[in-house]
Amino acid sequence: MVAFVARRFLYVVPVLLAVSLLTFLIASLLPGDLAYVILGDQATPEKVAALRHDMGLDQPLWWRYLSWLGHVLQGDLGRSFRTGQTVLQAVSERIPVSLELMLMAEFIGLLIGVPVAIACAARAGGAFDRFMTGSAFAMLSMPSFLVAILLIYLFAVELRWLPATGYVPFTEEPLANLRFFVLPALTLALAEWPGIMRVLRSDMIATLQEDYIALAKAKGLKPSRILFVHALKPSSLTLVTVTGINIGRLLGGTLIVESIFALPGIGRLLVGAIYTRDLVILQGVVLLVACGFVIVNFIVDMLYAVLDPRIRHGHA
Amino acid sequence: MTNIAAAARKRVPIFLVAAFAFLPLAEPAQAQKAGGSITVGLELDVPGFDPLKVGVYDAAALTPAAAIFDTLTYLNDKGEAQPKLALSWTHSDDFKTWTFKLRPGVKFHDGTPFNAEAYKANFDRQKDPANKCRCAFYIAAVNSVQAPDELTVVVNLNDPSVNYPTLVSYPNQNAAVHSPTAWKTKGDDYNRNPVGTGPYILKSWTAGDRMILEKNPDYWDKDKVYLDRIIMKPLPDAQSRFASLQSGEADLVWDDEYDADNIQKAQKDPKLTVHSYTGSGAQVYAFNTKTPPFDDVRVRQAMVMAIDRKKMSQAITNGLAKPASNPYGDGSWVKCKDDGALPFDVAKAKALIQEYGKPVEFKTVVTATPRGRVVGQVLQQFWKNVGASMELDQVDQATIPPRAFMRQFQLIPWRIVDLADPDPQMYANFHTGSPVALANYSNPELDKILEHARVTAETDKRIEDYCAATRLINKEAIWFWTFQNTYYAVSSANIKGLPKMYSGMIDVSRVWKE
Repeated sequence: MVAFVARRFLYVVPVLLAVSLLTFLIASLLPGDLAYVILGDQATPEKVAALRHDMGLDQPLWWRYLSWLGHVLQGDLGRSFRTGQTVLQAVSERIPVSLELMLMAEFIGLLIGVPVAIACAARAGGAFDRFMTGSAFAMLSMPSFLVAILLIYLFAVELRWLPATGYVPFTEEPLANLRFFVLPALTLALAEWPGIMRVLRSDMIATLQEDYIALAKAKGLKPSRILFVHALKPSSLTLVTVTGINIGRLLGGTLIVESIFALPGIGRLLVGAIYTRDLVILQGVVLLVACGFVIVNFIVDMLYAVLDPRIRHGHA
Repeated sequence: MTNIAAAARKRVPIFLVAAFAFLPLAEPAQAQKAGGSITVGLELDVPGFDPLKVGVYDAAALTPAAAIFDTLTYLNDKGEAQPKLALSWTHSDDFKTWTFKLRPGVKFHDGTPFNAEAYKANFDRQKDPANKCRCAFYIAAVNSVQAPDELTVVVNLNDPSVNYPTLVSYPNQNAAVHSPTAWKTKGDDYNRNPVGTGPYILKSWTAGDRMILEKNPDYWDKDKVYLDRIIMKPLPDAQSRFASLQSGEADLVWDDEYDADNIQKAQKDPKLTVHSYTGSGAQVYAFNTKTPPFDDVRVRQAMVMAIDRKKMSQAITNGLAKPASNPYGDGSWVKCKDDGALPFDVAKAKALIQEYGKPVEFKTVVTATPRGRVVGQVLQQFWKNVGASMELDQVDQATIPPRAFMRQFQLIPWRIVDLADPDPQMYANFHTGSPVALANYSNPELDKILEHARVTAETDKRIEDYCAATRLINKEAIWFWTFQNTYYAVSSANIKGLPKMYSGMIDVSRVWKE
């Protein structure tokens, strides 16, 4: 097991390096020179040249990358030129919001997706199965900005059950905090559960055709016991992968959802950094998020090994 | 326009306003109610308040800045400068030296006394080349500030400015007065922990979220400050911002004419009030008169005559945007009987192009945003109608200024911002040799008018000058104006006392809740 973890971890290093290079390139190749952005309506050629020199923008790209990477490895991700905040400060202020949002969304997504998948698989091809598969498809094709506005209109403007926008930290007012998170988390979850449901449903259907299930049925075990105890665990491998990958998708979703619901999370930080060309924040946040994603997937790989002994013994 | 200040100056060269010092700042018709709190929805995250860090305050930053900071003067309902941190002011005969007498006994929120030294320290810090402040650009016209005694500030200008007190009337990056002690002790943290002398004290600020402002109990004008607490937060999405107002999470929100659907919905809703203010200035375009086809005045005139501003307003803002025929706008004290605007006349435009005889093909710089593209496409259609072919040159917002400065364009969008006096921008935009005289156009007659207007004290004479200038510019069609600068805020109907939104600033520091 230790050897397996170590081997897996070795893969992570080159991935992280590639991520850092890509992040840097994307930020550097964005149209609009940073010097022009900072100088705005006083961007005379002389001032631009002077500022570019000050900021090292006149150095070759590879040199800038290496010097940035050097600083990153020492834990210095840089400072925003607009606010003077360091990347780590900015991220640590906002990460709790995004984490809470993603966890709630994933939780709601599983809460809807798993039971529906089991119910559908139990009677594959039945009326409920066909209806839910159809609805899942419809949900999947609805963009989150539309879902968000519909939810706001229904629950905030018409019914007035939930707030349209806003945020308070969980540590200050836990209940109010949860109220603020319901609609944004639901928006994301409504796009999450179809994926969860479809993956688990098809795996369950396959598992239910295995011989040992037939044996269990022949032994006269209760159908619910067969479904939840004998069929669910072996069918959940793909589900774990999907849940892991979903974290990445959810991060993308937070860009839109946090802007609409005015949640002060990582997504908003990133959108703001893009609009204002705050490249230091942009590079830093993308790098940290990408690292987070790589680590989540590393953990997912580890979970595989827990779920399936064949993987940890290297027979797969 | 009745500019009392200027009219008084005509007779009394040294104008004292000390008598007004104890008059209330606002004179609302209704009875004000003290207490309570409101939540204000801004458009964007505010990056901070330290001019050295942020360089320029945007519209979102002005709203909290107006609550936290004071300025030397403020503008009353008629657009005249009134005493705030300055009690009175005088000027030299050439309008290049302005002396302000300061209000005694004012303290910053941290207890530091406000005095001439503090004011000078603010200016020096921004002006110091070592600090490389972007904000220094906007005070380029000010040579130095002196503090001869505790309560006297002398401002030395490079060029005459007859209306200087109106130019320090709203808390932008330069005019807001910060506590020197605070920026010295807080260093990098000052940006997000600003300290002013204003009616509200910033109590807390969650990154990307709410700012909580509480009434300053020691404010020099505290009887005119009603709310106990103001919460300000960025609500970046237009739809959910408006939904927050409808559902009561926000009491007042920033808005703009591109959100026309919601503004028009709010106008019909008795529970909501739409506040709008059409200021001076305009959204404008500059032709590069040194490159063909715009080196020919007929082509420029034809392009301007082809534009149907009403139809354009309908297409991009549901008709909310107000057409502009000169660079001054409804909010300016410059009113022209005849501004020489070219009429919308397709036949005449076609004839001019025919006379020109060569094909008219050119590129227009637009911002690569949905909004920029729509505006560009509407213009494209108008010009196609008169036989000209225009291509969109889509660029990033940040690329427009350098392209403009280097004259790398044929036609470029620009903006004349809402300032209390037209001189700074008219001189910069149209006087020969200025870096933002974008049209590359030089006309001794226009130069003479602009030079005269900036050293003339009498308002009616200056109006004559500026109207003559716009007649000349319109006739030569070196720039054209599309729409006026109109600002919007939407609030619950019980929010009262919002002053005019000069320069797009939503100042909620003296509103009350009914």
